[in-house]
Amino acid sequence: MKNRGILLAALALGLPVLGQAPQTTAIPDRPEKLVFKPIRYDMAKAKDYRVKLKNGITAYVVPDPNGQPLVSFDLVLKAGRWLDAPGKEGAAQLMGTLLRTGGTAKTKADDLDEKLDMLAAQASGNLGDTSGALSLNLLAKDAKEGLGLLLEMLTEPAFQQDKLDLAKKNLRQQMERRNDDSTGIEQRELGFLLRGEGHFTNHLPTAASLDAITREDLQALHGRLLSPENLMVTVAGRFDRAEMVKLLNETVGALKAGKDAKAAGRPPASPYVAKPGIYVVDKAVNQGRVTMNLTMQGLRVTDADYPAVAVMNHVLGGGGFTSRFVKKIRSDEGLAYSAGTRAQAAQFLGDTGGFTALFQTKTRTVAYGIRLALAELEKMRKDGVTDEELKVAKGSLIEGFPARFPSKAALAGTFASNDWTGVPDAYLETYQAKVQAVTREDVLRVSQKYLRPDQLAILCVGNAKEMEEGDVKDHPGTLSEVAKLPTVKLPLRDPLTLKPLK
Amino acid sequence: MPSFRSRYGLAAALVALSGAVPLAAQTVPVLERTLSNGMRLLMVERHDQPTIAAGWITKFGSANERVGVTGVAHLFEHMMFKGTSTIGTKNPARDKELNDLQDRVRDEIRKEESILRKKQLRGDIEDMNDPKHRSEKHQKLVEDFEKLVKEQQELLVKDEFSKIYTENGATGLNAFTNSDVTCYINTIPANKLELWAWMESSRLIDPVFREFYKERDVVYEERRLRTESTPTGRFQEQINAMVWQASPYNWQTIGWSSDVANITRAQAFEFFATYYAPNNLVAVLVGDFNPKEAEALAERYFGRLKANPAGVPEMTTLEPPQLAEQRVSAEAETTPSVNITYKTVADGHKDDAALEVLADLLSGRTGRLTKELVNQQKVATNAFAFSGARKYGGTFSLGATLAADKKHDEVELALTRELEKIQKDGVPALELRKVKNQAQADSFRRLENDNFLMIQLAVSDAITGYQDFLDSPKKLEAVTPEDVQRVAKKYFTKENRTIATYTRKAGPATPEDPEIAALPEQVRPMVKAQLEKLAKETDAEKLKKALEQSQAQAEKVPAAFKPAMDLIIKRIETRLKQLEAK
Repeated sequence: MKNRGILLAALALGLPVLGQAPQTTAIPDRPEKLVFKPIRYDMAKAKDYRVKLKNGITAYVVPDPNGQPLVSFDLVLKAGRWLDAPGKEGAAQLMGTLLRTGGTAKTKADDLDEKLDMLAAQASGNLGDTSGALSLNLLAKDAKEGLGLLLEMLTEPAFQQDKLDLAKKNLRQQMERRNDDSTGIEQRELGFLLRGEGHFTNHLPTAASLDAITREDLQALHGRLLSPENLMVTVAGRFDRAEMVKLLNETVGALKAGKDAKAAGRPPASPYVAKPGIYVVDKAVNQGRVTMNLTMQGLRVTDADYPAVAVMNHVLGGGGFTSRFVKKIRSDEGLAYSAGTRAQAAQFLGDTGGFTALFQTKTRTVAYGIRLALAELEKMRKDGVTDEELKVAKGSLIEGFPARFPSKAALAGTFASNDWTGVPDAYLETYQAKVQAVTREDVLRVSQKYLRPDQLAILCVGNAKEMEEGDVKDHPGTLSEVAKLPTVKLPLRDPLTLKPLK
Repeated sequence: MPSFRSRYGLAAALVALSGAVPLAAQTVPVLERTLSNGMRLLMVERHDQPTIAAGWITKFGSANERVGVTGVAHLFEHMMFKGTSTIGTKNPARDKELNDLQDRVRDEIRKEESILRKKQLRGDIEDMNDPKHRSEKHQKLVEDFEKLVKEQQELLVKDEFSKIYTENGATGLNAFTNSDVTCYINTIPANKLELWAWMESSRLIDPVFREFYKERDVVYEERRLRTESTPTGRFQEQINAMVWQASPYNWQTIGWSSDVANITRAQAFEFFATYYAPNNLVAVLVGDFNPKEAEALAERYFGRLKANPAGVPEMTTLEPPQLAEQRVSAEAETTPSVNITYKTVADGHKDDAALEVLADLLSGRTGRLTKELVNQQKVATNAFAFSGARKYGGTFSLGATLAADKKHDEVELALTRELEKIQKDGVPALELRKVKNQAQADSFRRLENDNFLMIQLAVSDAITGYQDFLDSPKKLEAVTPEDVQRVAKKYFTKENRTIATYTRKAGPATPEDPEIAALPEQVRPMVKAQLEKLAKETDAEKLKKALEQSQAQAEKVPAAFKPAMDLIIKRIETRLKQLEAK
């Protein structure tokens, strides 16, 4: 198939057109001399789109009157991997998949697929670490029929054995690929390093747990979850708001809790702090993947520190080509194609946030790259940011803010996600003002608070011998000497048991 | 296998509910203008949010390269972010001198590299890029070069081009190169259209290729990232080079490894001078602007570019017909799979739409490949088909991931059998309707996002003209069952295909028999092979003989091999017991 469609819709927010400045003057020699009319952007307010359905389910209804004649539904499950029983790791994930693929009490799986395809609908089901959804995008004229099918999948899933077997086979093959790609190894080990082996996000399926999962397990989990208190719904697209709310109330709003239903609760909070060290996984590839990680304890987007952390991150490595990391590691030294940092706030109250610096470079320059990165962290801790850097970062975060919501569906999804994770409406509505208020002193303070080189957990995946030796000729220095941190060799894990391989 | 009627019976009931979608609604009003120097401008006005998706494209890419400088189109794309003679440096005059001085040292280094290349060709050294082979003179030149780079870096206003955009709230500043086009994109706040015109026209009028050699290293890292350190990247490069023999599609856009390492600044500049004249460029704006004002701005800024009436050398190499089936079997760190590639047609060819419909019939959850190979025969865990038409030719590929214990040849047969069915029986109208319904819904989906629409308009315009993009829903709707059958017969021939099979390569990461894993590394492959044979052997007599021989050998082997022999003996005994139990 050619890629004829992607699921992004144009966004209808903000103010009417602002004309360009008159074009009579000569072209200036510097872009700073151009004059622009000011522009104002008011973030859409979640409360204007929030609807309480009659059974208590929260809906976010975002009409797009100028958009294409399409509509997107998400039946959001406030549930996730934390519900897996020990020995049944992967059950929640499979349940999410099978809601979509396993047929219903009324309609066989293959017939359901046929119906959806005839309607030209795109449908999917998933249940991840902390949330899931049954999703559907289809022509607006078929909205009612589509929503009916989606609800049928949610409320009367058949979990057909043949489809469960197929989903298991696919999951098993994904497992077999666990050590094939250095990216996959990095992602998995990073999970263990940052959240600890005991954290539910690291309770990954194994061959044994997959074998143990039965159709009855999926039915039990489904029975437990099928309740208004575990659900949310988002709708975006071309429709009449009042009619859509009516339709939702007649359908999703009529849903009642099943007899075995229980509140899924919230994912267990994890205050885990990554243990400092240089962790090395030996994988025979000629490019080393490096992440340098710090736990940011308790940091949430609502914290007073967060806007300053966002600015710090933008200057350090979050701001693309203008960031210090890209300038140094990519542009000055030619060491990496991608280099940068990210600062992630804790998703739920009680969790930890994290800061990560990352790049990929040929195995011989891994040690040199880390030394450059460490110097950037030290420099930020010592001197913070310049006035010019502060101005650029603020300009980007504030003026680039509207581009973060490129579609009505994205807007609806953001509202629902904030609702689930307990982020108040005011956060987005005041985001631009909060960033505007950040000072150089704020950035220096959060840099010293969070960028703690002695607390770094550095993970390197690649040819271990070459990474350790470093670039003997042009940039001498071994990997284990880059910092006063213990070096820990992490063995690859058996892809089927996740037990360390010798 | 269910009968035809029951397979499509349900679909028949549904067709009444979901007929074809009115085609008129699926198009967008595109305003087309041509500037005085021949540069074209396409505009779609939308006032839903205060942003503009802005981009421009040149109608050339890696298919316009030649062997020796493969990868130059893409490397040049990177250089376009280095600024102009005044954007990006504090001292334009010295900056220029330093660029020239660096080129001179590089010329000297190239002479040294030429000596090393000859040594490598003679087998005197293994890898000419290993720094340990550098002569004293060579090492000195490398150090001199680094000094010049350092001096230039002192004068830089680092990545100023990007900085100006960033602080003005532009997002998604990026570019991409493929075989046919090179495209530069950005999303800007609605009040910054003049900034975009200033920035983009400046880098076209006055590009400066400073930091060229560092950027070449960056591109090499990109090659490592995408091609060399992924499980199948290098194999895909080889398979692609088998499929395309004469066409410049033979090499990938990233370029051959040794070419990327050797492209010079002068060669990159030559590519720019040839392929970036305004009469080869198309700018596209989608979003919140006034078209009259945008057109005036474009003329004022981009109108300054000088047209090149001489035009560009035409890419005249046509891929010759393939005369014989080709096969490649790769051992890689990946799940076993089969991929079949047929050469087809260029973008805009009259058979393109039918091939695309055919790919849709085969792929997806209710496509024929999934139904047959995954659901019915259970020989595969997933299957796909894809039709990819490019400017100078296309391919149609289909493939499947093997279910556990299935063989490549049975999956290959199952794949080709589905093509044969279409060749022989054609396709029912109803099945075609389903695929067309999807195509029509997709024709709305592709219009939703401003940035995506801008890119699609730019790319289609650079290859065949944007009208083809607007017309594609109509063309897909017009495809008949006869068209599908005809193209299936025409292109899916044995001699026109390349079949690639992937087998999992045994490596340290493969789940190991713990008893084999306990043996010394050098004997493991031998033992593993023996044990695999053993597991398949059903003749007890043969096994008894093998046991005797092994026991005799075990007495004589060196101590290091003793545990291996013991394991083999133990397993023969187990196998014998199994056979006797039957």
